[in-house]
Amino acid sequence: MYDVIIRNGLVVDGDGAAGFHADVAIRDGRIAEVGEISSDARQVIDATGRVVAPGFIDPHTHFDAQLLWDGQARPALEHGVTCVIPGNCSLSLAPLRAADRPAVVGMFQQIEEMPAEAFTERFAKWTWEDFGGYCRTIGEGLGINVAPLVGHSLIRLWVMGAASQERPATPDEVKAMQVLLRRCLDEGAIGLSTSFVDVDATGRPVPSRFADCAELDALCAVLGEAQDGRMLQVVPEFYASDLTIARIDQLAELSLKHAIPTTFSPVFDSNVAPESAPRILARVEEQFARGARVWPQMQTRPIDITFSLLNPSLYLVRVPSWFSTLRQPLEKRLAALADPEIVRRLIADAGSDGGDAIFGGLVIRGGDRAPADYVGRTLRDVAGERGEGVAQALFSISMANGLDVAFLAANGGHDDTSRIGPMLAHPLVHVGASDGGAHLASFATYGDTGYLFSEFVRASGHFTLEEAVKKITADTADIWGIKDRGRLKPGLAADVVVFDPKRIARDAEKPAHDVPGGGLRYVRASIGIEAVLVNGAVAYADGAYTEARTGEICGSSMARVA
Amino acid sequence: MSDQAATPLSRQRRFVTPVAGETLEGLAARALPDTAPAEAADGIRSWNLHIFAMRQPRGLLLCSDVVFVEPPLG
Repeated sequence: MYDVIIRNGLVVDGDGAAGFHADVAIRDGRIAEVGEISSDARQVIDATGRVVAPGFIDPHTHFDAQLLWDGQARPALEHGVTCVIPGNCSLSLAPLRAADRPAVVGMFQQIEEMPAEAFTERFAKWTWEDFGGYCRTIGEGLGINVAPLVGHSLIRLWVMGAASQERPATPDEVKAMQVLLRRCLDEGAIGLSTSFVDVDATGRPVPSRFADCAELDALCAVLGEAQDGRMLQVVPEFYASDLTIARIDQLAELSLKHAIPTTFSPVFDSNVAPESAPRILARVEEQFARGARVWPQMQTRPIDITFSLLNPSLYLVRVPSWFSTLRQPLEKRLAALADPEIVRRLIADAGSDGGDAIFGGLVIRGGDRAPADYVGRTLRDVAGERGEGVAQALFSISMANGLDVAFLAANGGHDDTSRIGPMLAHPLVHVGASDGGAHLASFATYGDTGYLFSEFVRASGHFTLEEAVKKITADTADIWGIKDRGRLKPGLAADVVVFDPKRIARDAEKPAHDVPGGGLRYVRASIGIEAVLVNGAVAYADGAYTEARTGEICGSSMARVA
Repeated sequence: MSDQAATPLSRQRRFVTPVAGETLEGLAARALPDTAPAEAADGIRSWNLHIFAMRQPRGLLLCSDVVFVEPPLG
């Protein structure tokens, strides 16, 4: 008697081999058997006409905070994601002394656009300081598997305090960081993340950027000690290919010296500079030929960004004075917008064309108080009708409607399937960079896996079904050293997705007010996902989440400890 | 691994990383010793807008920075 049998599905096992019709049996959270199975089970799932695949693994997320109030990382789970890697870009929520929490919350606010309320609402639960304490806290209600990175900025902040954002570390401080990193790895971290671009709430570079080469080298030496593939994740200066290539070369040297894998994200395809991404991939090929492991992460979805003056997003960074003025706390923002002189200056800063080049193409997408007759039209069109400049119209419409008018920049790039398809299919390109759980009011970070199938399997044919499954299961597990997941093989963890290959996709982006404190985020539901099993338990089926809380902390260290 | 590591790499734009406490002038003198100091500093400033135009505070040199010491390759 098995716990679960999934019958009559097309098994796509993650290795890239042709799918085959078989049953999959599960016992004690593990795949027990794959084949024609006559035994009974307590629960039977009919997968006739459906694909049965390993659970998808998302390697670039920021679910660190969300996992405190939502152990299923919704809606990632319903898209078939059964394992997430948070703690990217030098930021995690441990190790962190209580006194330093506000500073780190500010970094998450600034970089990942997460409202402070999402953290403060949960302060009562914030009892840990060490990495193991964080893992234990989220582990209490986990419905999805988590392989967390530890952030370099947190390591620095713990050891150096305020000096972490002022100077390089002394040799003794570097040694203390090595000891701390070693402990975090023992307590569940799958690797280390760092950043070369991010800034904190005041605009100052985050702590990791004050490290010198010797410090990062020393930390990578610790990653290499375990000799089991502990990852270094990096966010480089992704906006410039020369800078990204320089970082690739640095990562390659660290990879070769310490025998560690490294990964960087994101790599975007640019319509303005279409040669950039291929140049980056060419350098990656050269470094792999030397034996280095420098995995570039590329997202599947096109870039779009939404903002309102109520929920100002990173889009405003295009005009520095707008960014600094309109990203202030609401009370200060309202005071600024009530000052005609400040508004006049902001409009002037938008450009001599009245802001047309930067904001004219924005589409008014809604918001609770958006005028109905404006929704779906470009700001340029509406401004012309009102007899105003574009920036002036943006302010006047917003201010007349409680700032709650959302504008969509739908043409952010990374949207040419004919170029992106072959790059995603490149054997060295790692599908990732979803940013799951971050940029809440800018765009939905869910459904990239569905989009891989709808756009690059069914629409463009750049992938076969089996290649697409492999890319986001076995490949990801191998790159990250997650040894017991990513494949449907007896003995491995029973993370399973059952989906309709003709329908799997992401649904339309929609606003939701489900962030603690009533905050806004954009989400996408899944289409065509019929069941998701996490460690053998059905966590999502027939369009609904279950009460199963069978997720695990599953970093390589935990597998080793087990 | 050593044989693989000997695989030649294509030429890319040369860069250095600042050492602790280094100024633009000091870095320019170190990286471009055969160039007149003012010319070297101006060149580095113009080749590294990510540091000298986009950063707040502008021109803050970090030891993690990539600082190009030549213009973009043609």
